[in-house]
Amino acid sequence: MAYLERSSPTLKETLHKIYRAEKPIEIDQHFYEFGSIQYHIKCSTSDSNIVYVSTSTLLETQGTVTFKEILSHTYEVIKKIAVGVIDIVDPPRLGFQLTLKLHLDNIPRGKEAIKVITRISEIQALILSSQLKEMLKVMNFQDDSQAMNNNRPIRIVYHPSEPFYVFKQPEKLTAVFPMNFTDNSDMVIATSFFQEMEKAPRCNWSPIPPFQLRGEPVQDLTTSSGFVSFDITSRHIEGKSLDKTVWNLLNFYAYVKYHIKCSRGYIQRRMRKRMDSLVKLLINTSLDEEAHQKDGRWKYVKERVKVPTGKLMMKQRCKEITRRVKISKFRIKINGCARFRFNQ
Amino acid sequence: MANPLRLYLACIKNTLEAAMCLQNFPCQEVERHNKPEVELKTSPELLLNPVLICLNEAEKCLIETSINSLRISLKVKQADELENILTKKFLRFLSMRAEAFQVLRRKPVQGYDISFLITNYHCEEMQKQKLIDFIVQFMEDIEKEITELKISVNTRGKLVATEFLKQFM
Repeated sequence: MAYLERSSPTLKETLHKIYRAEKPIEIDQHFYEFGSIQYHIKCSTSDSNIVYVSTSTLLETQGTVTFKEILSHTYEVIKKIAVGVIDIVDPPRLGFQLTLKLHLDNIPRGKEAIKVITRISEIQALILSSQLKEMLKVMNFQDDSQAMNNNRPIRIVYHPSEPFYVFKQPEKLTAVFPMNFTDNSDMVIATSFFQEMEKAPRCNWSPIPPFQLRGEPVQDLTTSSGFVSFDITSRHIEGKSLDKTVWNLLNFYAYVKYHIKCSRGYIQRRMRKRMDSLVKLLINTSLDEEAHQKDGRWKYVKERVKVPTGKLMMKQRCKEITRRVKISKFRIKINGCARFRFNQ
Repeated sequence: MANPLRLYLACIKNTLEAAMCLQNFPCQEVERHNKPEVELKTSPELLLNPVLICLNEAEKCLIETSINSLRISLKVKQADELENILTKKFLRFLSMRAEAFQVLRRKPVQGYDISFLITNYHCEEMQKQKLIDFIVQFMEDIEKEITELKISVNTRGKLVATEFLKQFM
Protein backbone atom coordinates (compact mmCIF):
# COMPACT_ATOMS: atom_id res chain seq x y z
CA MET A 1 0.00 0.00 0.00
CA ALA A 2 1.53 3.25 -1.07
CA TYR A 3 -1.14 5.80 -0.49
CA LEU A 4 -1.98 7.97 2.50
CA GLU A 5 -5.53 8.70 1.41
CA ARG A 6 -7.89 5.81 1.98
CA SER A 7 -9.90 6.25 -1.20
CA SER A 8 -8.48 5.44 -4.62
CA PRO A 9 -8.44 8.75 -6.56
CA THR A 10 -8.87 7.15 -10.01
CA LEU A 11 -11.74 4.92 -8.92
CA LYS A 12 -13.47 7.83 -7.20
CA GLU A 13 -13.13 10.07 -10.25
CA THR A 14 -14.39 7.37 -12.62
CA LEU A 15 -17.41 6.56 -10.45
CA HIS A 16 -18.23 10.25 -10.16
CA LYS A 17 -17.99 10.58 -13.94
CA ILE A 18 -20.37 7.66 -14.49
CA TYR A 19 -22.77 8.88 -11.80
CA ARG A 20 -22.95 12.43 -13.17
CA ALA A 21 -23.04 11.54 -16.85
CA GLU A 22 -26.13 12.88 -18.55
CA LYS A 23 -26.12 10.16 -21.18
CA PRO A 24 -25.22 6.51 -20.55
CA ILE A 25 -21.54 5.88 -21.23
CA GLU A 26 -19.61 2.74 -22.07
CA ILE A 27 -16.61 2.11 -19.82
CA ASP A 28 -14.34 -0.88 -19.67
CA GLN A 29 -11.21 0.28 -17.85
CA HIS A 30 -8.40 -1.59 -16.29
CA PHE A 31 -5.95 0.34 -14.12
CA TYR A 32 -3.23 -0.26 -11.59
CA GLU A 33 -2.24 1.70 -8.56
CA PHE A 34 1.05 1.71 -6.75
CA GLY A 35 2.30 -1.48 -8.33
CA SER A 36 0.25 -3.99 -6.40
CA ILE A 37 -3.41 -2.98 -6.64
CA GLN A 38 -5.49 -3.47 -9.76
CA TYR A 39 -9.00 -2.38 -10.58
CA HIS A 40 -11.42 -3.07 -13.37
CA ILE A 41 -14.52 -0.95 -13.99
CA LYS A 42 -17.22 -1.97 -16.43
CA CYS A 43 -20.31 -0.04 -17.34
CA SER A 44 -22.40 -0.52 -20.44
CA THR A 45 -24.89 1.74 -22.21
CA SER A 46 -27.56 -0.99 -22.20
CA ASP A 47 -27.72 -0.96 -18.40
CA SER A 48 -26.29 2.37 -17.30
CA ASN A 49 -27.38 2.05 -13.66
CA ILE A 50 -25.18 -0.97 -13.01
CA VAL A 51 -21.41 -0.70 -12.64
CA TYR A 52 -19.12 -3.64 -12.01
CA VAL A 53 -16.00 -2.88 -10.01
CA SER A 54 -13.40 -5.62 -9.61
CA THR A 55 -10.32 -5.32 -7.48
CA SER A 56 -7.31 -7.37 -6.62
CA THR A 57 -4.22 -6.93 -4.52
CA LEU A 58 -1.26 -8.82 -3.22
CA LEU A 59 -2.55 -10.44 -0.07
CA GLU A 60 0.27 -12.63 1.14
CA THR A 61 1.08 -13.60 4.64
CA GLN A 62 3.33 -16.41 5.74
CA GLY A 63 3.65 -17.69 9.23
CA THR A 64 1.54 -18.99 12.05
CA VAL A 65 -1.43 -16.90 10.95
CA THR A 66 -1.99 -17.15 7.23
CA PHE A 67 -4.47 -15.21 5.17
CA LYS A 68 -4.53 -15.62 1.43
CA GLU A 69 -8.10 -14.66 0.65
CA ILE A 70 -10.58 -12.06 1.74
CA LEU A 71 -12.20 -12.96 5.06
CA SER A 72 -15.92 -13.54 5.30
CA HIS A 73 -16.10 -10.86 7.97
CA THR A 74 -14.71 -8.39 5.41
CA TYR A 75 -17.52 -9.17 2.99
CA GLU A 76 -20.04 -8.19 5.67
CA VAL A 77 -18.23 -4.93 6.28
CA ILE A 78 -18.14 -4.18 2.54
CA LYS A 79 -21.87 -4.71 2.17
CA LYS A 80 -22.50 -2.31 5.04
CA ILE A 81 -20.66 0.53 3.21
CA ALA A 82 -23.79 1.37 1.29
CA VAL A 83 -26.79 -0.81 1.93
CA GLY A 84 -28.78 -1.47 -1.23
CA VAL A 85 -26.05 -0.09 -3.47
CA ILE A 86 -23.41 -2.82 -3.25
CA ASP A 87 -23.85 -6.47 -4.15
CA ILE A 88 -20.95 -8.90 -4.05
CA VAL A 89 -20.66 -10.96 -7.21
CA ASP A 90 -19.74 -14.58 -6.67
CA PRO A 91 -17.56 -15.84 -8.29
CA PRO A 92 -15.50 -12.69 -8.86
CA ARG A 93 -14.23 -11.75 -12.29
CA LEU A 94 -11.34 -13.89 -13.54
CA GLY A 95 -8.03 -12.62 -12.22
CA PHE A 96 -9.60 -10.59 -9.41
CA GLN A 97 -10.32 -11.28 -5.77
CA LEU A 98 -13.52 -9.27 -5.46
CA THR A 99 -16.20 -8.05 -7.85
CA LEU A 100 -18.86 -5.60 -6.74
CA LYS A 101 -22.10 -4.78 -8.50
CA LEU A 102 -23.07 -1.18 -7.86
CA HIS A 103 -26.66 0.02 -8.30
CA LEU A 104 -26.24 3.70 -9.09
CA ASP A 105 -29.95 4.45 -8.96
CA ASN A 106 -29.97 3.45 -5.26
CA ILE A 107 -27.33 6.01 -4.36
CA PRO A 108 -28.97 8.88 -2.42
CA ARG A 109 -28.93 12.25 -4.16
CA GLY A 110 -26.93 15.34 -3.26
CA LYS A 111 -23.94 15.40 -0.91
CA GLU A 112 -24.67 11.86 0.30
CA ALA A 113 -23.77 10.58 -3.18
CA ILE A 114 -20.23 11.95 -2.83
CA LYS A 115 -19.86 10.29 0.57
CA VAL A 116 -21.09 6.93 -0.72
CA ILE A 117 -18.81 7.03 -3.76
CA THR A 118 -15.86 7.97 -1.54
CA ARG A 119 -16.59 5.04 0.78
CA ILE A 120 -16.82 2.69 -2.22
CA SER A 121 -13.43 3.98 -3.43
CA GLU A 122 -11.93 2.98 -0.09
CA ILE A 123 -12.57 -0.69 -0.83
CA GLN A 124 -8.90 -1.68 -1.05
CA ALA A 125 -8.03 0.10 2.18
CA LEU A 126 -10.90 -1.74 3.82
CA ILE A 127 -9.81 -5.18 2.57
CA LEU A 128 -6.19 -4.80 3.63
CA SER A 129 -7.01 -3.11 6.94
CA SER A 130 -9.53 -5.78 7.95
CA GLN A 131 -7.06 -8.55 7.22
CA LEU A 132 -4.34 -6.94 9.32
CA LYS A 133 -6.85 -6.15 12.09
CA GLU A 134 -7.88 -9.79 12.30
CA MET A 135 -4.27 -10.87 12.36
CA LEU A 136 -3.36 -8.48 15.16
CA LYS A 137 -6.40 -9.51 17.22
CA VAL A 138 -5.59 -13.21 16.83
CA MET A 139 -1.97 -12.69 17.77
CA ASN A 140 -2.84 -10.46 20.68
CA PHE A 141 -5.11 -13.06 22.20
CA GLN A 142 -2.53 -15.81 21.84
CA ASP A 143 -1.18 -17.02 25.14
CA ASP A 144 2.34 -15.77 25.91
CA SER A 145 3.68 -19.27 26.49
CA GLN A 146 2.07 -20.54 23.28
CA ALA A 147 3.56 -17.61 21.43
CA MET A 148 7.04 -18.19 22.88
CA ASN A 149 6.97 -21.83 21.76
CA ASN A 150 5.90 -20.97 18.29
CA ASN A 151 7.49 -17.60 17.83
CA ARG A 152 8.00 -17.56 14.12
CA PRO A 153 7.28 -14.07 12.81
CA ILE A 154 4.51 -13.48 10.28
CA ARG A 155 5.71 -12.06 7.01
CA ILE A 156 3.17 -9.69 5.46
CA VAL A 157 3.54 -8.63 1.84
CA TYR A 158 1.18 -6.02 0.42
CA HIS A 159 3.69 -4.72 -2.07
CA PRO A 160 6.24 -6.99 -3.80
CA SER A 161 9.32 -5.16 -2.57
CA GLU A 162 8.00 -4.03 0.82
CA PRO A 163 7.42 -6.89 3.21
CA PHE A 164 7.18 -6.37 6.93
CA TYR A 165 7.12 -8.72 9.90
CA VAL A 166 4.94 -9.01 12.97
CA PHE A 167 5.81 -11.25 15.90
CA LYS A 168 4.57 -11.73 19.43
CA GLN A 169 6.58 -10.87 22.48
CA PRO A 170 5.56 -10.95 26.14
CA GLU A 171 2.70 -8.44 26.58
CA LYS A 172 3.19 -6.84 23.18
CA LEU A 173 3.41 -7.33 19.44
CA THR A 174 6.31 -5.97 17.42
CA ALA A 175 6.10 -4.85 13.81
CA VAL A 176 9.47 -4.71 12.03
CA PHE A 177 10.00 -2.89 8.73
CA PRO A 178 13.18 -3.63 6.76
CA MET A 179 14.06 -0.39 4.96
CA ASN A 180 15.77 -0.44 1.58
CA PHE A 181 16.68 2.44 -0.70
CA THR A 182 18.59 2.38 -3.96
CA ASP A 183 19.70 6.02 -3.98
CA ASN A 184 22.49 6.99 -1.62
CA SER A 185 21.01 10.35 -0.68
CA ASP A 186 17.60 8.75 0.04
CA MET A 187 19.37 6.31 2.32
CA VAL A 188 21.11 9.05 4.28
CA ILE A 189 17.96 11.20 4.65
CA ALA A 190 15.95 8.14 5.72
CA THR A 191 18.58 7.07 8.25
CA SER A 192 18.61 10.50 9.88
CA PHE A 193 14.78 10.37 9.96
CA PHE A 194 14.80 6.96 11.65
CA GLN A 195 17.33 8.17 14.20
CA GLU A 196 14.87 10.93 15.11
CA MET A 197 12.03 8.40 15.37
CA GLU A 198 14.10 6.24 17.65
CA LYS A 199 13.90 8.88 20.37
CA ALA A 200 10.20 8.12 20.83
CA PRO A 201 9.14 5.35 23.19
CA ARG A 202 7.97 2.08 21.62
CA CYS A 203 9.89 2.83 18.46
CA ASN A 204 13.29 1.45 17.65
CA TRP A 205 15.78 1.63 14.80
CA SER A 206 18.66 -0.73 14.31
CA PRO A 207 21.11 -1.29 11.46
CA ILE A 208 21.01 -5.05 12.12
CA PRO A 209 17.92 -7.26 12.05
CA PRO A 210 16.34 -8.31 15.36
CA PHE A 211 17.23 -11.86 16.38
CA GLN A 212 13.56 -12.89 16.04
CA LEU A 213 13.97 -12.59 12.26
CA ARG A 214 16.67 -15.24 12.13
CA GLY A 215 15.82 -17.77 9.46
CA GLU A 216 13.89 -15.35 7.27
CA PRO A 217 14.80 -14.87 3.58
CA VAL A 218 18.18 -13.24 3.09
CA GLN A 219 16.87 -10.66 0.61
CA ASP A 220 14.57 -9.28 3.30
CA LEU A 221 17.32 -9.11 5.90
CA THR A 222 19.78 -7.30 3.63
CA THR A 223 18.89 -3.65 3.84
CA SER A 224 20.51 -0.29 3.21
CA SER A 225 18.82 1.69 5.97
CA GLY A 226 18.31 -0.76 8.80
CA PHE A 227 15.17 -1.97 10.54
CA VAL A 228 12.45 0.11 12.14
CA SER A 229 10.30 -1.59 14.74
CA PHE A 230 7.14 -0.52 16.54
CA ASP A 231 5.80 -2.05 19.72
CA ILE A 232 2.07 -2.62 19.66
CA THR A 233 0.39 -3.14 23.00
CA SER A 234 -3.19 -4.17 23.71
CA ARG A 235 -4.03 -0.46 24.09
CA HIS A 236 -3.36 -0.01 20.37
CA ILE A 237 -5.57 -2.90 19.39
CA GLU A 238 -8.65 -2.17 21.46
CA GLY A 239 -11.60 -0.21 20.16
CA LYS A 240 -11.12 2.66 17.74
CA SER A 241 -7.31 2.66 18.10
CA LEU A 242 -7.09 -0.53 16.08
CA ASP A 243 -8.14 1.19 12.86
CA LYS A 244 -5.56 3.96 13.34
CA THR A 245 -2.80 1.51 14.27
CA VAL A 246 -3.48 -0.68 11.25
CA TRP A 247 -3.64 2.29 8.86
CA ASN A 248 -0.33 3.65 10.14
CA LEU A 249 1.38 0.28 9.82
CA LEU A 250 0.08 -0.21 6.29
CA ASN A 251 1.23 3.25 5.23
CA PHE A 252 4.59 3.42 6.94
CA TYR A 253 6.60 2.79 3.77
CA ALA A 254 4.56 5.34 1.82
CA TYR A 255 4.97 7.88 4.61
CA VAL A 256 8.75 7.51 4.64
CA LYS A 257 9.01 7.78 0.85
CA TYR A 258 6.81 10.86 0.88
CA HIS A 259 8.95 12.49 3.55
CA ILE A 260 12.13 11.78 1.58
CA LYS A 261 10.61 13.19 -1.60
CA CYS A 262 9.52 16.38 0.19
CA SER A 263 12.94 16.75 1.80
CA ARG A 264 14.64 16.47 -1.58
CA GLY A 265 12.27 19.06 -3.03
CA TYR A 266 13.01 21.38 -0.12
CA ILE A 267 16.77 20.96 -0.57
CA GLN A 268 16.42 21.71 -4.29
CA ARG A 269 14.43 24.91 -3.61
CA ARG A 270 16.98 26.16 -1.11
CA MET A 271 19.85 25.44 -3.47
CA ARG A 272 18.19 27.44 -6.23
CA LYS A 273 17.55 30.35 -3.89
CA ARG A 274 21.12 30.38 -2.67
CA MET A 275 22.44 30.16 -6.23
CA ASP A 276 20.38 33.20 -7.23
CA SER A 277 21.75 35.20 -4.31
CA LEU A 278 25.35 34.22 -5.18
CA VAL A 279 24.88 35.18 -8.82
CA LYS A 280 23.49 38.59 -7.79
CA LEU A 281 26.57 39.03 -5.61
CA LEU A 282 28.82 38.31 -8.59
CA ILE A 283 26.97 40.75 -10.82
CA ASN A 284 27.90 43.50 -8.35
CA THR A 285 31.56 42.94 -9.15
CA SER A 286 31.07 44.04 -12.74
CA LEU A 287 32.91 47.25 -13.78
CA ASP A 288 30.12 48.47 -16.03
CA GLU A 289 26.97 48.24 -13.93
CA GLU A 290 24.77 49.90 -16.58
CA ALA A 291 25.23 46.98 -18.92
CA HIS A 292 23.55 44.73 -16.41
CA GLN A 293 20.61 46.87 -15.46
CA LYS A 294 17.52 47.07 -17.57
CA ASP A 295 14.23 48.56 -16.37
CA GLY A 296 15.47 48.32 -12.80
CA ARG A 297 16.09 44.54 -13.00
CA TRP A 298 19.48 42.80 -12.84
CA LYS A 299 20.51 40.68 -15.80
CA TYR A 300 22.74 37.64 -15.62
CA VAL A 301 26.42 38.13 -16.36
CA LYS A 302 26.21 36.15 -19.63
CA GLU A 303 24.13 39.00 -21.11
CA ARG A 304 26.74 41.62 -20.28
CA VAL A 305 27.48 42.50 -23.90
CA LYS A 306 24.80 45.05 -24.69
CA VAL A 307 24.48 46.71 -28.08
CA PRO A 308 23.82 50.42 -27.45
CA THR A 309 20.82 52.00 -29.24
CA GLY A 310 19.56 55.49 -30.03
CA LYS A 311 21.16 58.48 -28.27
CA LEU A 312 23.72 56.34 -26.52
CA MET A 313 24.91 55.00 -29.85
CA MET A 314 25.22 58.52 -31.32
CA LYS A 315 27.19 59.70 -28.30
CA GLN A 316 29.56 56.77 -28.54
CA ARG A 317 30.08 57.36 -32.26
CA CYS A 318 30.88 61.05 -31.70
CA LYS A 319 33.35 60.10 -29.01
CA GLU A 320 34.99 57.62 -31.33
CA ILE A 321 35.28 60.14 -34.19
CA THR A 322 36.70 62.80 -31.87
CA ARG A 323 39.27 60.37 -30.59
CA ARG A 324 40.35 59.40 -34.09
CA VAL A 325 40.66 63.00 -35.23
CA LYS A 326 42.70 63.84 -32.17
CA ILE A 327 45.20 61.09 -32.67
CA SER A 328 45.61 61.78 -36.38
CA LYS A 329 48.44 64.23 -36.91
CA PHE A 330 46.76 67.33 -38.35
CA ARG A 331 49.25 70.17 -38.85
CA ILE A 332 46.63 72.62 -40.12
CA LYS A 333 44.95 74.70 -37.43
CA ILE A 334 41.30 75.39 -38.12
CA ASN A 335 39.50 78.05 -36.10
CA GLY A 336 36.60 76.69 -34.15
CA CYS A 337 37.98 73.12 -34.09
CA ALA A 338 40.04 73.53 -30.96
CA ARG A 339 38.34 70.60 -29.29
CA PHE A 340 39.88 68.26 -31.88
CA ARG A 341 43.42 69.31 -31.06
CA PHE A 342 45.64 67.86 -28.39
CA ASN A 343 47.35 70.33 -26.08
CA GLN A 344 44.74 73.06 -26.70
CA MET B 1 41.90 34.34 20.60
CA ALA B 2 40.91 35.17 17.05
CA ASN B 3 38.43 32.85 15.38
CA PRO B 4 40.42 30.33 13.30
CA LEU B 5 37.89 30.58 10.50
CA ARG B 6 38.35 34.35 10.34
CA LEU B 7 42.12 33.90 10.18
CA TYR B 8 41.74 31.26 7.47
CA LEU B 9 39.57 33.53 5.34
CA ALA B 10 41.89 36.50 5.92
CA CYS B 11 44.85 34.40 4.79
CA ILE B 12 43.00 33.36 1.63
CA LYS B 13 42.02 36.96 0.93
CA ASN B 14 45.59 38.22 1.29
CA THR B 15 46.93 35.44 -0.91
CA LEU B 16 44.36 36.19 -3.60
CA GLU B 17 45.23 39.87 -3.52
CA ALA B 18 48.83 38.98 -4.19
CA ALA B 19 48.04 36.28 -6.74
CA MET B 20 45.43 38.10 -8.78
CA CYS B 21 47.88 40.10 -10.89
CA LEU B 22 46.97 38.72 -14.25
CA GLN B 23 47.78 39.98 -17.69
CA ASN B 24 46.98 38.92 -21.18
CA PHE B 25 49.47 36.35 -22.47
CA PRO B 26 48.96 34.55 -25.79
CA CYS B 27 49.78 30.88 -25.96
CA GLN B 28 53.45 30.13 -26.63
CA GLU B 29 52.72 26.72 -28.15
CA VAL B 30 50.00 27.56 -30.65
CA GLU B 31 49.77 30.74 -32.71
CA ARG B 32 46.79 33.06 -32.22
CA HIS B 33 45.57 31.03 -29.28
CA ASN B 34 45.03 32.39 -25.84
CA LYS B 35 44.68 29.75 -23.14
CA PRO B 36 44.67 29.85 -19.34
CA GLU B 37 48.20 28.69 -18.55
CA VAL B 38 47.26 27.39 -15.11
CA GLU B 39 45.12 24.70 -16.77
CA LEU B 40 47.64 23.65 -19.40
CA LYS B 41 50.80 23.82 -17.27
CA THR B 42 52.96 23.39 -20.39
CA SER B 43 55.44 26.20 -19.64
CA PRO B 44 56.84 26.13 -16.11
CA GLU B 45 58.22 29.66 -16.43
CA LEU B 46 54.66 30.99 -16.62
CA LEU B 47 53.52 29.29 -13.43
CA LEU B 48 53.94 30.49 -9.88
CA ASN B 49 54.25 28.23 -6.87
CA PRO B 50 50.86 26.88 -5.73
CA VAL B 51 49.81 27.87 -2.25
CA LEU B 52 47.90 25.44 -0.01
CA ILE B 53 46.08 27.01 2.95
CA CYS B 54 44.64 24.51 5.46
CA LEU B 55 42.22 25.28 8.25
CA ASN B 56 42.30 21.64 9.35
CA GLU B 57 42.55 18.22 7.73
CA ALA B 58 39.08 18.49 6.23
CA GLU B 59 39.08 22.12 5.03
CA LYS B 60 41.70 23.53 2.71
CA CYS B 61 42.18 25.89 -0.18
CA LEU B 62 44.61 25.49 -3.06
CA ILE B 63 45.55 28.61 -5.02
CA GLU B 64 47.43 28.02 -8.27
CA THR B 65 48.55 31.04 -10.22
CA SER B 66 49.98 31.63 -13.65
CA ILE B 67 50.66 34.69 -15.77
CA ASN B 68 47.17 34.96 -17.21
CA SER B 69 44.97 32.84 -14.96
CA LEU B 70 44.33 31.78 -11.42
CA ARG B 71 42.70 28.60 -10.11
CA ILE B 72 41.20 28.36 -6.64
CA SER B 73 40.12 24.94 -5.36
CA LEU B 74 38.18 24.49 -2.14
CA LYS B 75 37.61 21.50 0.09
CA VAL B 76 34.60 21.97 2.37
CA LYS B 77 34.11 20.45 5.80
CA GLN B 78 31.92 17.31 5.84
CA ALA B 79 31.40 16.06 9.37
CA ASP B 80 28.93 13.22 8.73
CA GLU B 81 27.06 11.35 6.02
CA LEU B 82 24.28 13.90 5.77
CA GLU B 83 26.69 16.83 5.38
CA ASN B 84 28.59 14.77 2.85
CA ILE B 85 25.61 14.25 0.56
CA LEU B 86 24.33 17.81 1.04
CA THR B 87 27.75 19.23 0.12
CA LYS B 88 28.05 16.96 -2.89
CA LYS B 89 24.54 17.80 -4.10
CA PHE B 90 24.87 21.54 -3.59
CA LEU B 91 28.31 21.96 -5.12
CA ARG B 92 27.41 19.76 -8.05
CA PHE B 93 24.27 21.87 -8.53
CA LEU B 94 26.40 25.02 -8.68
CA SER B 95 29.07 23.48 -10.91
CA MET B 96 26.47 22.37 -13.45
CA ARG B 97 25.34 26.01 -13.66
CA ALA B 98 28.87 27.35 -14.00
CA GLU B 99 27.94 29.57 -16.96
CA ALA B 100 25.84 31.71 -14.66
CA PHE B 101 28.88 32.26 -12.44
CA GLN B 102 31.49 32.67 -15.19
CA VAL B 103 34.41 32.23 -12.82
CA LEU B 104 33.29 28.77 -11.66
CA ARG B 105 34.83 25.62 -13.10
CA ARG B 106 32.38 22.91 -14.28
CA LYS B 107 34.44 20.17 -12.73
CA PRO B 108 36.37 20.57 -9.49
CA VAL B 109 40.05 19.71 -9.36
CA GLN B 110 40.65 16.18 -8.11
CA GLY B 111 40.69 16.01 -4.35
CA TYR B 112 38.59 19.15 -3.94
CA ASP B 113 34.88 19.94 -3.85
CA ILE B 114 34.69 23.06 -6.01
CA SER B 115 37.05 25.08 -8.20
CA PHE B 116 37.19 28.57 -9.67
CA LEU B 117 39.09 29.62 -12.76
CA ILE B 118 39.77 33.34 -13.03
CA THR B 119 41.42 34.68 -16.17
CA ASN B 120 42.77 38.09 -17.12
CA TYR B 121 39.54 38.75 -19.02
CA HIS B 122 37.54 38.40 -15.82
CA CYS B 123 39.88 40.85 -14.13
CA GLU B 124 39.31 43.33 -16.95
CA GLU B 125 35.54 43.06 -16.71
CA MET B 126 35.21 42.84 -12.96
CA GLN B 127 36.67 44.77 -10.10
CA LYS B 128 39.53 42.77 -8.58
CA GLN B 129 38.77 43.64 -4.96
CA LYS B 130 35.09 42.81 -5.35
CA LEU B 131 35.96 39.55 -7.04
CA ILE B 132 38.15 38.56 -4.12
CA ASP B 133 35.37 39.57 -1.72
CA PHE B 134 32.97 37.44 -3.75
CA ILE B 135 35.21 34.35 -3.43
CA VAL B 136 35.51 34.81 0.33
CA GLN B 137 31.77 35.49 0.68
CA PHE B 138 31.09 32.40 -1.45
CA MET B 139 33.08 30.24 0.94
CA GLU B 140 31.22 31.61 3.95
CA ASP B 141 27.83 31.24 2.26
CA ILE B 142 28.47 27.64 1.22
CA GLU B 143 29.34 26.61 4.73
CA LYS B 144 26.41 28.51 6.19
CA GLU B 145 24.01 27.02 3.63
CA ILE B 146 25.13 23.45 4.25
CA THR B 147 24.81 23.88 8.01
CA GLU B 148 21.34 25.39 7.61
CA LEU B 149 20.28 22.64 5.22
CA LYS B 150 21.43 19.98 7.66
CA ILE B 151 19.56 21.59 10.54
CA SER B 152 16.44 22.01 8.38
CA VAL B 153 16.47 18.39 7.23
CA ASN B 154 16.92 17.15 10.78
CA THR B 155 14.21 19.45 12.14
CA ARG B 156 11.85 18.41 9.37
CA GLY B 157 12.54 14.74 10.11
CA LYS B 158 11.83 15.34 13.79
CA LEU B 159 8.52 17.07 13.04
CA VAL B 160 7.43 14.37 10.61
CA ALA B 161 8.38 11.62 13.05
CA THR B 162 6.43 13.37 15.82
CA GLU B 163 3.35 13.69 13.62
CA PHE B 164 3.48 10.04 12.63
CA LEU B 165 3.98 8.80 16.15
CA LYS B 166 1.22 11.07 17.48
CA GLN B 167 -1.25 9.15 15.36
CA PHE B 168 0.28 5.87 16.31
CA MET B 169 0.38 6.38 20.06
